[in-house]
Amino acid sequence: MSATRITRGVNRGGPIAITVDGIRIECFAGETVAAAMLAADHAVFRADTRGQRRGMFCNMGVCSECLVTLIAGGPHVRACLVEARDGMEVATRD
Amino acid sequence: MTEPERFDIAIVGGGPAGQAAAIALEGHGLSIAVIDEQIRPGGQILRQPPAAFTVANWLADRSYAPLKRQLDRFGQLKEVRWLGGHSAVGLQAGSIVATGPDGLRNIAADRILIAAGCQDLAVPLPGWTLPGVYAAGGIQAFVKSQQLLAGTRVLLAGTHPLQLIIAAQIVAAGGTVAAVLFAQPRAHMIAALAAQPLTALGRASDLFAAGTAMATLARAGAPIRFGVGLSALTGRDRVSGAVTSAGNVECDAVGLCYGFVPQSALPRMAGARMTAAGPAGGWACVHDDWMRTSVPGLYAAGETVGVAGAAAAAAGGELAGLGIALDLGLLDADTAQRAAQNSRRRFARHRAFASLLDAAADPRPFFPAPDSGTIVCRCEDVEFGPLSERVSAGGSANAVKLATRCGMGACQGRNCEPTLLRMISAAGGCDDVGFTARFPARAVSIADLLSSD
Ligand SMILES: Cc1cc2nc3c(=O)[nH]c(=O)nc-3n(C[C@H](O)[C@H](O)[C@H](O)COP(=O)(O)OP(=O)(O)OC[C@H]3O[C@@H](n4cnc5c(N)ncnc54)[C@H](O)[C@@H]3O)c2cc1C
Repeated sequence: MSATRITRGVNRGGPIAITVDGIRIECFAGETVAAAMLAADHAVFRADTRGQRRGMFCNMGVCSECLVTLIAGGPHVRACLVEARDGMEVATRD
Repeated sequence: MTEPERFDIAIVGGGPAGQAAAIALEGHGLSIAVIDEQIRPGGQILRQPPAAFTVANWLADRSYAPLKRQLDRFGQLKEVRWLGGHSAVGLQAGSIVATGPDGLRNIAADRILIAAGCQDLAVPLPGWTLPGVYAAGGIQAFVKSQQLLAGTRVLLAGTHPLQLIIAAQIVAAGGTVAAVLFAQPRAHMIAALAAQPLTALGRASDLFAAGTAMATLARAGAPIRFGVGLSALTGRDRVSGAVTSAGNVECDAVGLCYGFVPQSALPRMAGARMTAAGPAGGWACVHDDWMRTSVPGLYAAGETVGVAGAAAAAAGGELAGLGIALDLGLLDADTAQRAAQNSRRRFARHRAFASLLDAAADPRPFFPAPDSGTIVCRCEDVEFGPLSERVSAGGSANAVKLATRCGMGACQGRNCEPTLLRMISAAGGCDDVGFTARFPARAVSIADLLSSD
């Protein structure tokens, strides 16, 4: 297991779900797509040209390692900046 | 392009600097657009949780109190149009191109302030591209904003004292810190601070914050080690350990913390004069007493002019706001000077402390050694071996970029440029100004670009 949500003292908004590469991920309204993915143990965002698994890096919009495609919104979306919305369909480059 | 939206002033960045500038411009009846790619204001230091969350005791440490008061005040400004979730991708005097949820947006303003903050210095070492390895600031932003611990055993390693604060925040949130490793010996850090004891004492609160963090970590049993360097990060599909000069450490997340560099893409794109930023590398925007850049109508504040912490950023933002008011004829020179006195004093004091911190955290003698297969350019997968061969053949950063694709990817060289420039300088090349900054400053979808004209 990897990333975990902090629960002490935190009230999250309503539970929602998104899909990432067709797999359903339960998360919370307002969370970034990146946070939702990590909390669901989906830490791989792509495979590089050498076939190695790659994750995200900066979590502030500059490194472009977390680029995903939103099926309804197009490619080159930084998962660390965009909020998950119920029913959102996300595709990684993995 | 579509008709631009017009504002009197546009500010890129809603962190301490951008907020302070907007506050300093209050009451003149101006229209001010504040553009920030984060959805909510606050900048890196006050990365807010999603609006749908309620977080008890969010950043309750008293060191955050003045910044939180400033954030409240900023939220009440009537003249500000908050454009959160928008990235400035193009900038020249008088206009900004931004991308947002609805595609491209054209913003015109005679006065533009760049207050875009800084980013963690990216430091290549074997294994640093494994999932679970982050910039330390990224791990901290997960804690502050998303209320998420990036791993169950987090290792922090580098040379910057901020890693103590980050580690303490992880512990306070219920997480486990595998270790905090400083590559430099403890005596090295203390000597740098002791070189100017008065400046260090004047900022005792910052030193005290680090001291409190050390106490928190000691209580939690998290080891803090000095003089321990990273050799490699290991794991199969994700990071599971670190090889250090003092043995192996098990962990499932790593935060690399070797320093911070200004985000310089926008001022460079606008043609503003830049200067080498500091020991961590990067470029800072040159400015005068009122935070004017070398480009008429363009101002810079906060960490765009050098990494010096939130208090310096806020003081510089105030000066930029007053400078803009002065240039617009809203304040006469005497009134502006009087209003600026206090901000100038704080700006100078905090910058003096920052230069001490720079010396204490100077990563240059302590960078981990890459091996030939270590990726330097994360976007284009350019490895250290071939890159150093090309570098030793000579030529500028731009020439190396053309030959190797290093810096040609989606991040536009932001991760690899400081490393490449160090390599070029070690190979005898000097005074390289780095990659030519190109549009767009952020990855943009072609569809957005095509639909805009
Ligand atoms: C990840 C991270 C964590 C940090 N944590 C701490 C800490 O805990 N304590 C501390 O003392 N210092 C910390 N620092 C240093 C900190 O950034 C500063 O002290 C302070 O926040 C600087 O204020 P600023 O206004 O200059 O920039 P910032 O607070 O960084 O604000 C700049 C804003 O500009 C926005 N921006 C940048 N480029 C664009 C663009 N092209 N388009 C639209 N918006 C853009 C960013 O989203 C950001 O919100 C951290 C730095 C980083 C990078």
